[in-house]
Amino acid sequence: MSPAAVKVDRLEKTLGKNKVLRGISMEAASGEIFGLLGPNGAGKTTTLRIVCTLLAPDAGSVQVLGFDTMSAPEEVRRRVGVVTADIGVYPRLSARENISYFAELSGVADGELEGRVDAVLNRLDMTSFANQRAESLSSGQKQKVAIARAIVHDPAVLMFDEPTSNLDVLASREIRNFMVESRGRGKCVIFSTHVLHDAERLCDRVTILHEGSVVATGPTAEVRGAHRDLEDAFLELVEKR
Amino acid sequence: MKTLAIVFRKEMREIFRDRRTLIALGLAALATPAVLVVISQVSTKTATQTYTVGYSGDIPTGLDILLTATGLTLEQVADPAAAAKQQVDLGVVFQPAEIDEWYDPTRQSAQIADTRLQTVLGQYNAAKAAAALQQRGIDPGLLNPLPIKAHPLSSPVTAAGNAFLSFFLPYILITMVLTGGLSAALDASAGERERKTLESLLLTPTPRSRILLGKILAVSVISLVSAIAAIGSMLLALTQIPLLGTHVSLSPLAASVMVWLAILLAGCFSSVTLALGTLAKNFRQGQAFSTPLYFITVFPASIILFIPDFNPNLAYYLIPILNAVLVLRDAIVHNSVAWPALGITTASLVATGLICWFAALRLFTRETLLIRS
Repeated sequence: MSPAAVKVDRLEKTLGKNKVLRGISMEAASGEIFGLLGPNGAGKTTTLRIVCTLLAPDAGSVQVLGFDTMSAPEEVRRRVGVVTADIGVYPRLSARENISYFAELSGVADGELEGRVDAVLNRLDMTSFANQRAESLSSGQKQKVAIARAIVHDPAVLMFDEPTSNLDVLASREIRNFMVESRGRGKCVIFSTHVLHDAERLCDRVTILHEGSVVATGPTAEVRGAHRDLEDAFLELVEKR
Repeated sequence: MKTLAIVFRKEMREIFRDRRTLIALGLAALATPAVLVVISQVSTKTATQTYTVGYSGDIPTGLDILLTATGLTLEQVADPAAAAKQQVDLGVVFQPAEIDEWYDPTRQSAQIADTRLQTVLGQYNAAKAAAALQQRGIDPGLLNPLPIKAHPLSSPVTAAGNAFLSFFLPYILITMVLTGGLSAALDASAGERERKTLESLLLTPTPRSRILLGKILAVSVISLVSAIAAIGSMLLALTQIPLLGTHVSLSPLAASVMVWLAILLAGCFSSVTLALGTLAKNFRQGQAFSTPLYFITVFPASIILFIPDFNPNLAYYLIPILNAVLVLRDAIVHNSVAWPALGITTASLVATGLICWFAALRLFTRETLLIRS
């Protein structure tokens, strides 16, 4: 395994009265798809939110490409792109304007802006609706806008939090293809999902969370072990606890 | 500064593509002239309208001519007291030594007719008394031992016009600055959360303080545009529509003070409404949170309406909004500015704006902002 792009060390977090994370550790490397798996409420989203600096950990630490999320949050944000299931776009801006706005806020230089935006529009096959207002786009097209704005500043780490949960089969497949393509470009791709079947097909390595703790971690095949699939492996791990 | 400009530009683009904002701007520009037209027509109609006096008995010689000339039409009725309830505006019984009058004070027409009748009778009685004295060889000036010769310091017509503006303009200024930017403020705060763009926005490396400042600037500009559109259209309308028998206008000094106050209030209200919007989960909840603001802000303007000669000491100028109303009133009525009052007002509104900005920033950077969304 190459050096860790994202290193999570004994992370703890309490939200309200709920202890959501109980000492989670994991490492994701560049050039791999790393699966963060577990049922709803396991702590996946909270972990990702801490990694991308939206939340602060109560204990433990996170490093992204050598930058600590607490001491250098802006440096971390420059290097991270996040795609979530909640496809929020600015409805009165066009797809292109949505992407340009995030590119500018992410520090893409004026001289490069148009080229960068055109490049992602082409890469995600969005040119046909680039100038349409976002309010008139389909869910799949909006999801593409969400991906485009997350990658327009060319981050080294890409995080997908349940990215396909609101999408149809075709749009979901495009997302999966995009993750595979990003791995090929040497990006560190973190894929958070409760659909273990998807993870099994895509992920090089996985960490399974349950009630805020890591129950298994390692290469996908190793975690599956002798079981028929990851789902069976997960159920057995949970029942043991 | 660059990221500030990026956020500002994007917010302005969204605001001007929002139908709600454009409608609000259009209404702001049209509403006040429309109100002025109504006020002008009503006041003109009231001045020229004739009212009916139902009477019985014999009208003293010459009084009928005076009453008709004052816009009172005489109509003989069997029971003036009963007729005064609805049929006519006043009921009068002329008796040899006195006049009995019946009117309903809850009816405005009855009040106006009563005033006219009292005026005419006063003049009639004075003329009769003067004639009687003259007949007896006595100087009628005896009836008016201390005649008053008034020397108004300014034109009474201009003063009446300024008084009208001093009631009306603070209302327009405050309500338009508040409502003009409210929709944009809620859209830029609660709206971010509702359409789920907040998380992506906070994921950019741009400091949150700059994002918030860009939003406040955009909301301030739209509030200011709204207030200036409303007041500008009103002043333009006043040049065309006569009020109180004259064309009312605003002096350059009062106009400058008003623009300055509008800028301060816009900054202040933008911070307040953005803070409230940040607390809200969605646009609708933001509107509910903002409702009390209407009462809080309109209340100080009402003080001027109900206590026109309210002349407080300088400490009152520390109270936000009330201070703006007082300074604007003084600038309009007296065409002068008390610099200490303006200085305290400016400091008070800037301090209020900064406090609200810090509050909004604290809310904007709290983890619960994301967790609750």
